[in-house]
Amino acid sequence: MTKKDVLPDPVRRSMFAIGCIAVGAATAGFLAATFRFLVPNVLYEPSRRFDIGPPSDFPPGAVTFLPDRRLYVFNGPDGFYAISSICTHLGCNVKRGGPGFECPCHGSRFDENGQVAQGPAPKALAWYALSLSPHAQLVVDLDQQVSPEFRLRA
Amino acid sequence: MSQTIGSRTLTWLDGARRSVCRIGWPATDKDRAAAMISSLFLHIHPARVSRHVLKPTYTFALGLISGILFIVLAVTGLALMLYYVPYPPEAYRSMKDLQFVVTFGIVLRNIHRWSAHAMVGVVFLHMCRVFWTGSYKPPREFNWVIGVVLLLLTLGLSFTGYLLPWDQLAFWAITVGTNIAAYAPVVGDQVKFLLLGGHMIGPMTLLRFYVLHCVMLPLAMLLLISLHVWRVRKDGLSGAEIHASPTEELAGAFPASTKTYGLMAIGKRPRASVEARDPNDEVFAWPHLLYRELLVALAVIIVLHIVSLVFMAPLEEIADPTRTPNPAKAPWYFLGLQELVHYSALMGGVIVPTLLVLALLAVPYVDRGAAGSGRWFAPERKMANTIFTSLAAVFVVLTIVGTLFRGANWAWVWPWK
Repeated sequence: MTKKDVLPDPVRRSMFAIGCIAVGAATAGFLAATFRFLVPNVLYEPSRRFDIGPPSDFPPGAVTFLPDRRLYVFNGPDGFYAISSICTHLGCNVKRGGPGFECPCHGSRFDENGQVAQGPAPKALAWYALSLSPHAQLVVDLDQQVSPEFRLRA
Repeated sequence: MSQTIGSRTLTWLDGARRSVCRIGWPATDKDRAAAMISSLFLHIHPARVSRHVLKPTYTFALGLISGILFIVLAVTGLALMLYYVPYPPEAYRSMKDLQFVVTFGIVLRNIHRWSAHAMVGVVFLHMCRVFWTGSYKPPREFNWVIGVVLLLLTLGLSFTGYLLPWDQLAFWAITVGTNIAAYAPVVGDQVKFLLLGGHMIGPMTLLRFYVLHCVMLPLAMLLLISLHVWRVRKDGLSGAEIHASPTEELAGAFPASTKTYGLMAIGKRPRASVEARDPNDEVFAWPHLLYRELLVALAVIIVLHIVSLVFMAPLEEIADPTRTPNPAKAPWYFLGLQELVHYSALMGGVIVPTLLVLALLAVPYVDRGAAGSGRWFAPERKMANTIFTSLAAVFVVLTIVGTLFRGANWAWVWPWK
């Protein structure tokens, strides 16, 4: 018997390779499925789009803080706008202080438009889109960020 | 007649005893060695150990204390789980129950809390000891890597446990902590979303942290502790070889051990001798090692009880997402990072910790010289020791600054004022 005779059958070798690839693919699929399982499909959280009452609740020139929504609502001379109270640094609630906002956690300061004035915050406070519902309620959409030029005339 | 019944009963009882514990109380060294080897719980020890590694000033028993703390945490944690409900606001109420209603609940909670803090500190000190004695030198490089992962798991366990009381302290520490994670480039926000199970810290977050804290991380830790100790058992403690006197082989009765091991797939080279060489430098693990361990365990448990009877674990008001305490601080072992984050979030939250962990993992593969292992502050390792000590000192100072010297608005305060 020569050595050549005992070499593995090429069909068996390719079957083995296919088997290895299949097991590898199954493992990868299993890992991907496990990861996907960890991503929640339903969030039992307050809606990201909600109404905050009629415009008449917000007197002209006033700033209203909605603590549950972590939101400041302004009724300025040009119209309504809403600024988040969540500090862009580490998520603490900013407070009104001086002309703008101050964060109690790490001393970040923001001007009246939410732009960073001082401290470690890397970016400006978020501005969210306001709209009027058919029932004449102000509606905030947390999934829709807008620029500081945004005003809603109501 | 009655004698026969008496002796028969004794024989029967002895047989029953032997069915449970095959070796009786060992009277000779040979029996003691046999007891060490044949018991599931004792065979984690070698039968004989080098005198050098028994010196308290060599290891300060820091690894042992970490292990004891882990056991204490597992036992007290299981007890606490019987009363804890991982759903807000019940979670907070069950904490109040543990504190004021459940008999001994407050002691169990205090022991659990203080052991957790102690474990972070002791594991860190253990790492320092291993570095300063050069104990990660071959063949122990990979065990250092396992140790670094165990340090990270310890932090992870402590961090996930921090949210469970669902008080203001918990809520805002985890807010700050998870927002630091969100600074990771590209995947930061997704990591935060997965950790929280949503956009904000809520019931899903509590459940996720609870499962991580009570099941997943402890299991991972148990597995790695086993591997860690197994390798120490097989490699022996560092320094035994160099401290053995050169009478090897001369003793005759005990020829030098030639037993070596290669842990399949995980161990790399069958290099380390299982026992120290010279019988004159060795003592039997029973009683010399075993009694020391029991003594340390007893001391740890006594200290934990005293501390837990004197100092109460903090419990603030129920978590309120609308009201940020001033200052909001992460758990103390992350305050060094928070201090850095105060200067630059990306630097302190992502770059520095990532580099630190990578550097720690790489230590045994970068510092490759074999010299200076097994002794404290060996002169051959002056450079490595200087670099490590400086970094550790900077980290400790930052942690102390973040913990004691930062007040409202993260402004500088003097702790005694």
